[in-house]
Amino acid sequence: MAALDWTLLLTVNWPEIGEATVDTLTMLGVSMLFTVLLGLPLGVLLYVSAPGQLRARPRLYAVLSFLVNVLRSLPFVILLIVLMPFTLLVVGTSIGVAGAIVPLVVGAAPFFARLVENVLREVDHGVIEASQSMGARLSHIVFKVLLPEALPGLIGAATVTAVALVGYTAMSGVIGGGGLGDLAVRYGYQRFQTEVMVVTVVLLLALVQGVQSAGDRLVRRCCYD
Amino acid sequence: MIAVQALHKHYTHQGQAIAALDDVSLRIEPGEIFGIIGRSGAGKSTLIRCLNLLERPDSGQVIIGDEALTALDDATLQQRRQRIGMVFQHFNLLRSRTVAGNVRFPLELAGTLSTAQMDARVEELLGLVSLVGLLDHRHKRPTQLSGGQKQRVGIARALANHPDVLLCDEATSALDPETTDAILTLLADINRQLGLTIVLITHDMRVIRQLCDSVAVLDRGRVVETGKVLEVFLSPEHAVTQSLLAETGLGPGRLTGIWRERISSPVIRLSFVGQPALQPVLDKVGRETGLRLNLLSGTLSEIKNTPFGQLLAGVLASDVELSALPAIFAREGVRCEVL
Repeated sequence: MAALDWTLLLTVNWPEIGEATVDTLTMLGVSMLFTVLLGLPLGVLLYVSAPGQLRARPRLYAVLSFLVNVLRSLPFVILLIVLMPFTLLVVGTSIGVAGAIVPLVVGAAPFFARLVENVLREVDHGVIEASQSMGARLSHIVFKVLLPEALPGLIGAATVTAVALVGYTAMSGVIGGGGLGDLAVRYGYQRFQTEVMVVTVVLLLALVQGVQSAGDRLVRRCCYD
Repeated sequence: MIAVQALHKHYTHQGQAIAALDDVSLRIEPGEIFGIIGRSGAGKSTLIRCLNLLERPDSGQVIIGDEALTALDDATLQQRRQRIGMVFQHFNLLRSRTVAGNVRFPLELAGTLSTAQMDARVEELLGLVSLVGLLDHRHKRPTQLSGGQKQRVGIARALANHPDVLLCDEATSALDPETTDAILTLLADINRQLGLTIVLITHDMRVIRQLCDSVAVLDRGRVVETGKVLEVFLSPEHAVTQSLLAETGLGPGRLTGIWRERISSPVIRLSFVGQPALQPVLDKVGRETGLRLNLLSGTLSEIKNTPFGQLLAGVLASDVELSALPAIFAREGVRCEVL
């Protein structure tokens, strides 16, 4: 890496960086939304169907658990490519920002679901038993007990997932997904424009910090102790 | 009336079957306070959870009123449970809700009241379980309350849907002695005011003495002794009952054994219940019969507001036959047994 000449910052293509930032934020926002929409129910399903739990279905649990493990063990770069036909089917294109969102969700939702399952397991069994003793149905237990009691932990899990998603979006350049990571690779690495690399890294860092501290603040606000 | 018939329940631990309940049958009268006592591992926790079927027995029946709970389908059982309150050792309050929110929770589950009605009922319940304070704390989180206050919230929550039965799972075991007293008094008041049946489990004979009408002693999954609390306290039959009483200072102390070893004179047990416990019976009988006693151990106390006392004494001298003593004491309303 050449010594950095700060005047080079003036030559950086700022509009392109702006565009890349918007792309990254779009991919992060939309995929996070769908990750929660899919991962939360999946996590709840994993929790209640686990052996010894509220609606123990050991076989269903084994299947779900296996699928989650498979999706989590595939490196994201591979997932991007493997999913291309599926992505085309779902959003009508397998490239660009829209094309990146499907693999992002497929990669992050199982991860989030597993975190949700673990967070729910931490809910005091005593309060679940108490609500059963009051005649609560499963839906009552999930919506009035499990999710509210686990809320700080769930926000924490969402924060971890969002940070992981920022990392995933950087790889979407492989399918022309754009975004800051893609920019860093194309200009910073392939064209030796270190200054672009520095700018994108700073922006990605700021994004991760922002996500994390927003998550922390939310957890503190809804902390019950 | 609650009837428990031939309950069996076992757990499998490392491939071995362990009987938690072994042919347990009980009969609990409406409006009474029924205590189940036993050491840890005796099966009392399993037993009380079988009463509202939080745990399913392997076999046997649980009947509350004229309804066999064990025969109900899930949905009907959930409905029925709304009128079986339960209070827990560790309170089990929802930390995501305020005090008022916790009491409101079972009302939301029942879904029969409007919002305004629920608010009114919550206020009424919080007033019922505490003379002072809880109403002012109703917007606080449970974590900001003391143990005693948490249990009061737990009791209010359990009473929300007008239950006919209240189950107490070691409700005072996590509390200090003073708070325990206050909670037991509250439970007695509730039993009197609302006329509901209370079933409690405990390992503490003092709880039984202070609160219960009847008691069952559980040991290794079996009921080894059952009856009215006074009767069981005055003449405990089973070794487990005796040792539980002894640990609470309510059974024969060590002195009795030493007395028997060193001085081979007879020992008598005198039981006072009610009025005689408040009168100078020993003095009177001593003057009339020349009876001289050496006290070995004793308790003078109350069982649920009935004065009660039991003394063990070695007989030093007497002008009458030992065999005549029971009749003489009986005239004074005191039971005397020559041991």
